[in-house]
Amino acid sequence: MIKKIFIVILSIYSIQFFSNNSYTVEPNEILENQKQELRARNISKNIRCMICQNQSIDESNAPLAKDLRILIRNKIKDGKKDEEIYKFLTNRYGDFILLKPAFKFNTLALWLLPFIFAVIGIFIVFSHNKKSKKI
Amino acid sequence: MKKKLLIIPSILFLSILLTFFYLLIIERDPSAIPSNLLDKNIPKFETESLLRKERFISSKEFGNEIILVNFFATWCLPCRDEHIYIKRFSNEKGIRVIGINYKDNSKKTIQWLKNLGNPYSNVPIDKNGRIAIDWGVYGIPETFIVSSKGIIKYRHIGPVTEKIYKKINLLIKEIE
Repeated sequence: MIKKIFIVILSIYSIQFFSNNSYTVEPNEILENQKQELRARNISKNIRCMICQNQSIDESNAPLAKDLRILIRNKIKDGKKDEEIYKFLTNRYGDFILLKPAFKFNTLALWLLPFIFAVIGIFIVFSHNKKSKKI
Repeated sequence: MKKKLLIIPSILFLSILLTFFYLLIIERDPSAIPSNLLDKNIPKFETESLLRKERFISSKEFGNEIILVNFFATWCLPCRDEHIYIKRFSNEKGIRVIGINYKDNSKKTIQWLKNLGNPYSNVPIDKNGRIAIDWGVYGIPETFIVSSKGIIKYRHIGPVTEKIYKKINLLIKEIE
């Protein structure tokens, strides 16, 4: 009997340990409408917790993260669109609150430089290859 | 010609090194986030007041003079540290300070203000933290300078220290 209980407890813990999609949404926060809840989760995953800055509010235990999760859900219930919710948050906390930076004029370098560097890299490799073949 | 080109990587490396070194020694807080509300109108809000019977209505309170807005709570220890400077603003400099009481117990706050002194001309209550979100606040204490036109001119995150106290005083003089 004790062995069985032990196995059950162990398996529960191992599920928790191995599952990657850990989140901190508390049961009473979850919306009844599954579609709405999914939208809320998707938005929360892209919103930075301003207190623990490398976590999304979906993962963070900070009180402000909880407040924002509830606020997002209330806005969804009120029939607000995703863009409206993002705009509400960036108006208050700036673009920094978005974990995925917006494609804007001042983030152009951020988005385009990797491609430019890749092209330069390919060019260097090819030209180097040509030279070494000649020798 | 080719030998001369070989210098380029070392120059590049040196300049990168210098840039990093410069960023290391200058005074900056990489986790500090610029406020999105700077040079914008204050968010409008209406709530209960801790010390008065009539409700706090932001449009009635702001817009006549320079006001400091200080988010505070009794459970926040740095708020206690900065309290002496907040008092100096209102007592020595005669600046109006509005203290927004963030997620706090009203009884405790009244006692706290009795013990430490009350520098606030009015104390609107932010029971669920909703007002703070409108101000883009994420870690109290936070202090804002609001101009006489009701525009946010400066935001400081964290407790006011001697250095910040002087900085805010300078800024207020500039705005005036």
